[in-house]
Amino acid sequence: MSSIVISLKNISKRYVMGDETIFTALSDINLDINKGEYVAIVGQSGSGKSTLMHIIGLLDKPTDGKVMIEGKDISTLDDDATSTLRSEFVGFVFQQFNLLNKLTIKENILLPVEYARRKFDYNPSERADYLMKRFGIFDKKDSFPNKISGGQQQRVAIARALIMNPKLILADEPTGNLDTKTGDEIMELFGELNKEGITILIVTHEHDIAERARRQIKIKDGEVVK
Amino acid sequence: MKYVIDLFKSAITDFGKNKGRTFLTSLGILIGVMSVVLLMAAGAGLKLYISQQFESLGTNLLYVMPGNMFGEGGTGIRAGAGGSIAPIFEEKDIVDLKRIKEAEYVIPYYQKSIKVSFEAIAEYSTLNATSEDVFPSRNFVAEYGTVFSSADNSARNKVAVLGSKIAEKLFSDPSLALSKKIRIDGQSFRVIGVLQSKGGGGFGGPDFDNYIYIPYKTGYIFNTDKKFIEIMVKAKTSEALPLLKEDIKNVLLKRLETDDFSVVESTEILNTIGSIFSILNVVLVAIAAISLVVGGIGILNIMYVTVSERIKEIGVRRALGARRNDILWQFLAEAVVLSVFGGVMGLGISAIVVFLMQSFFPAYISISSILLALGTSSLIGIVFGVFPAKKAADLSPIDAIRYE
Repeated sequence: MSSIVISLKNISKRYVMGDETIFTALSDINLDINKGEYVAIVGQSGSGKSTLMHIIGLLDKPTDGKVMIEGKDISTLDDDATSTLRSEFVGFVFQQFNLLNKLTIKENILLPVEYARRKFDYNPSERADYLMKRFGIFDKKDSFPNKISGGQQQRVAIARALIMNPKLILADEPTGNLDTKTGDEIMELFGELNKEGITILIVTHEHDIAERARRQIKIKDGEVVK
Repeated sequence: MKYVIDLFKSAITDFGKNKGRTFLTSLGILIGVMSVVLLMAAGAGLKLYISQQFESLGTNLLYVMPGNMFGEGGTGIRAGAGGSIAPIFEEKDIVDLKRIKEAEYVIPYYQKSIKVSFEAIAEYSTLNATSEDVFPSRNFVAEYGTVFSSADNSARNKVAVLGSKIAEKLFSDPSLALSKKIRIDGQSFRVIGVLQSKGGGGFGGPDFDNYIYIPYKTGYIFNTDKKFIEIMVKAKTSEALPLLKEDIKNVLLKRLETDDFSVVESTEILNTIGSIFSILNVVLVAIAAISLVVGGIGILNIMYVTVSERIKEIGVRRALGARRNDILWQFLAEAVVLSVFGGVMGLGISAIVVFLMQSFFPAYISISSILLALGTSSLIGIVFGVFPAKKAADLSPIDAIRYE
């Protein structure tokens, strides 16, 4: 059991629309992600894959079903506890990069540390330096995000996702805003990170991106089809 | 603690990148704090000014006034039931009061607005017909010539002592005034002295330098009733004041009724004036405080704008683990920084204005008004910042991160 990072049990998500019709975004999803896995969730837009990602990323709560993290049901946690768990458990990589333009590259990478409520057994600033060196962006550490290329911004975002040493990296269309070559480089980076034992979950609608993962989960109309 | 420092540091960095907007938003608070601090400084200065004026008159003074002007409590002015405020004191009272052992000086008071002329130059002035004691009791010293004596009074000599300002108006060079004949309401007087300047006047206080002094018996030319509105009595020592007060009452009661007159100390008058000014000042400061509220609404408005502009940022921060309160504190800190920035600027500008004012008016900024200014501006930041900050904190992470 301990090798399961996150486990979804009978997850459903329904929205009440304006005229009281109910829209089912997800229905009865069961999913386990194991430690060290490289998983892709594939589906067209509107398939429910984003909703699924938000639930896995603890940004949203399911209408029904249980989310278990390392064997613990988290549906009963309050907002503060969920926020803390989010900072410990998951590192986000977004399609739009979502860096804060008024902070420098290094400050962006260290932003999650500001919200951490624990002592670190490593020096976060040194880890940020190490990640920047490794991703080839160390010379940009005092630049601002709008002054560097898209590929570099996504590397910053990945470094930010890794700074807290999370159990899971959650990437939402990470190559969506990048050209093919840069996208490939970013995907290679994910591959390398996974080889080092980091659990990665990528949400994408592109099959050639999904191909790189070791396991693919296809979503259609809110259900797992494969 | 580091958390709090980081919070404010990040708020200040944020504003550094939006200088124009920050300044305009703070301007409301700046003006509010400035008007409150300046009014408090002016009020404090006015009080100081009045007490300085009283001190310049000399201490250990008792004022004998017609009517029961001050109740036993000593602060409320009320016209006495049986008393009038017409001049009632006579020459006999002056002589009797002079006999009291504790009385050092006795100064009757007859005042009249007059026209004074020297050759072709005519000026308006205030005539004081009084005793020779007025000069030592008020620390008036002749700069040129001399002051009149009791002999001048007894002989009803038509001699005049001029304040420095009126002497300058009439003669340009005050030293030229000596022995010159001036006309006071048509009566010819010889100038025997010009006093050193005492300053003051111009803010409703007595303008001693513009006064003309003549012996009170000579003054009967103008004071045809031979009555005086007030008599000032100076005690030999401050310890003698209470005894002197009793003695004056006993002397005057032989001739007058209790309600006809009052004997008050200068501190009692000072307290009364002080309390009137305090009330006035509180009212003025309260009116000025309205502009602080207006400034606060400016902050409220701009913070709502800031929150809507930064919904995406809020979403990112929540995704990275920020709690609801982290977001709340972030925006609250920004509102407080905005507001305190305005407060400090307002205080700074007030300090400059007060510094410039001090050359002609003893206004000063007290510690309490500094604390009040900083306290209210941070309070305004909190009060008007809390609603937008709450709005930011209550955004659901999922809605915020999806916001485009």
